[in-house]
Amino acid sequence: MLKFIPYILKNLQGHRVRSFMTILGTALLMLLFLFVFSIQSGLHQLLQSQDDRLIVFQSYRFCPSSSQLPIFYEEVIRGMAGVKDVLPVKVVVNNCRASLDTVVFHGVPARSLSKVRPHVRFLSGDWAAFASRTDAALVGRRIADRRGIKTGQSFTIAGVNVTVAGIFTSEAAGEENVIYTHIELLNNNQHHQDLHATLYEVSVTDPLQVEKVAAAIDAKIKDRFEITTETKPQKAHFQNVLADLLDLIGMTRWLGFVCIGVVVVLVANSVIMAAQDRVKEHAVLQTIGFSNWRIVWLMLTESMLISLIGGILGTLACVAWLTWQPLSISTEGVSIDFIASPQLIVWGLGLSVLIGLVAGLVPAWQAGRAEIVNSLR
Amino acid sequence: MALVEIDQLSKVYRKGSQEVPVLRDLSLSVAAGEFVALMGPSGSGKTTLLNLIAGIDRPTQGSIRVAGQDLAKLSRNKLAAWRAHHVGYIFQLYHLIPVLTAYENIELPLLLLPISSSERRKRVQVALEAVSLIDRYDHYPRQLSGGQEQRVAIARAIVADPTIIVADEPTGDLDAETATATLALLKHLNEQMGKTLVMVTHDPKAASVANRLVKLEKGKLVDDQLHVVPFNGVQPSPRSRQLASE
Repeated sequence: MLKFIPYILKNLQGHRVRSFMTILGTALLMLLFLFVFSIQSGLHQLLQSQDDRLIVFQSYRFCPSSSQLPIFYEEVIRGMAGVKDVLPVKVVVNNCRASLDTVVFHGVPARSLSKVRPHVRFLSGDWAAFASRTDAALVGRRIADRRGIKTGQSFTIAGVNVTVAGIFTSEAAGEENVIYTHIELLNNNQHHQDLHATLYEVSVTDPLQVEKVAAAIDAKIKDRFEITTETKPQKAHFQNVLADLLDLIGMTRWLGFVCIGVVVVLVANSVIMAAQDRVKEHAVLQTIGFSNWRIVWLMLTESMLISLIGGILGTLACVAWLTWQPLSISTEGVSIDFIASPQLIVWGLGLSVLIGLVAGLVPAWQAGRAEIVNSLR
Repeated sequence: MALVEIDQLSKVYRKGSQEVPVLRDLSLSVAAGEFVALMGPSGSGKTTLLNLIAGIDRPTQGSIRVAGQDLAKLSRNKLAAWRAHHVGYIFQLYHLIPVLTAYENIELPLLLLPISSSERRKRVQVALEAVSLIDRYDHYPRQLSGGQEQRVAIARAIVADPTIIVADEPTGDLDAETATATLALLKHLNEQMGKTLVMVTHDPKAASVANRLVKLEKGKLVDDQLHVVPFNGVQPSPRSRQLASE
C-alpha cells in the first residue's frame, strides 16, 4: 500500500491551493481545540494532585486577603494526631478575581520551605540565597517567563518589594505560578507572634484519614479560639475556590467539540471536491485494475493525510505558543496552567486521523462504488 | 483455442424505466495474435463490446470468456485483479493521470503486480523505449503533445504484458500524421510483439491496419472478414497472410 503514497501526495500537490487552505483551516481549528483542552488538561492535573494534603482556611472567607489565621495555629495543628507536617502560607495576589496574569506570592517560613518543597528544581539561585535575605523571593518559571524576571533583579508587585534569589521549576500543578517569599515580609515584618497566615498546608501521615484529621482540626480550633477554620482536602479546596471557573472551563469543552465538527466538515468538503474532480481518473484506475477497495483506501488515506498534516501543524503551533508564552488562569490565588501534555498531543494527533477517516468515509465509498463505464462517459 | 469467446451476448442499458438494447445475441471469437478492428455507425455497440471484452462492463445475457475466464462469474474485486493481469486499455482521449509524469503513468499498472521496484523500473524503461519516449519520461501530460500522450497511454497499456490490448478509437483525437504513427505502433505491437489487439474505430484507414474487420449495426454483427491490404505502403506481414489463409 505504501507504494501508492507518492500518488496521493502528488494529488495533494496538484491542487496546491485547495490542499493548503484545507490544511491551514484544519491546523487553526486543531490549534483552537488543543488550546481549549490544554486548560482542561491543566485543571485535570491540578485536581489530581496531592491527595494527602489538607488546606486549613478561615471559615466563610473566600479571597485570600480576607483569611487571617494567627501564626500560633501552626503549633496547635502540628501537635494533633495524624499530622505529619504543617506549613503556614501567607497569600498575597495582585488580583483576587479571575485573570490571565495573576501574580501570587506565597509567604512561608524560610526554614520550612526546602523541607516541604523538596521537588522544586532551581533553574538559577538556591535555597541558601533565599534564606540569606529577608526580601528574597523564589520565582516560578511561568511567572518569570511571562514577566521576563531574572535572578538578582528586584521588583515590586501588589506593593510587595522583593529581590529574586532564584527561579525554579516544579512538576506540581500550578506551583510555577507562585513566588515564594518570607512570611514576615508579607506581614510587613511584624514580630513573629503577630504574624498571620492565609492558610495552613497540612500533610497527614495516612492519606485515608484526611477527612477525619480535617474534622479534628476544625473542631479543636473551634473549641479553643475565636477565629474558626474550614479544613478540606487540597482537591476539594481547589474545587471550592475554582467553582465559578469550573463552569466556564466546562463550557469551553463544547467550543472544542465545535472545532472538531468544523474540521470534519472542512475536510469532507475537500475530499468531496477531490472525488468529483477525479471521477474519470478513478474510472481509469479501475480500468487498469485498481479494485474499488483500493480506490476507497486511496481517498481515505488522502483525507487522513490532510487532516493529520493539519493536526500536526496545529499541535506544533499550540505547543510552541504555550512554551514561549506560558499561560495560566488564576482566581483567588489558585492557578490553572494551560498544559499541552504529551497525552493531549497524542490524543489530538489521533483525533486528526479519526477526523480524516470520518470525513472521507462517504466520498471515498462513493468513489469506490462508481460504475467504470458511467464514469468514463 | 480462441482468446476471446463470446456467445449469444446481449447488453441492455436502463434509462429510467426504459430499456435500451445495445448488443443483441452477438457471438464472436478472437484468436490469440489477431488484430481486430470493430467498426460500425454510432450507437452500434462497438464500445460496449470492447468494454465487455475488457471486463469493465458486464453482459445482460450470454457469456464472454477471455483468456479462459468467464468474466460474468467474477466478483467486482476479482474482475479488477483479472484486468490488472490480462488487459491493457487505450482510450481515445488518452486519460493519463495529470499529476503524474510519463514514467509514473506507465508505472501505475505495475504497482498492482507483485514485482520489485527494480523490475518495475526495468519494465517501464522497456515500454518507454517501445514507444520512443525515453527522453520524455519526466514530462507531465500537459508538457506532451497529443501524439506523445497517446504513446504514453500505449506504453501504460503494454507495460504489464497483458494478454489482450483493447483500444477505443485510439486515433480519434489525433491529426493525420500522428494517427498514422500511432497506428504503425499498434501494428508493430501486433506483428513484432505478438500482442492481440481489439480496436474500435470509425476510420477505414485505421481499420485497414488490422488483419480482421468486424462490423456491427444496431448491436448485431453484420460482417466479419479477414483482410490483407497494404498499410501506409507497408505490405501485410506473413502473420496476417497466415491468418487470412486459415
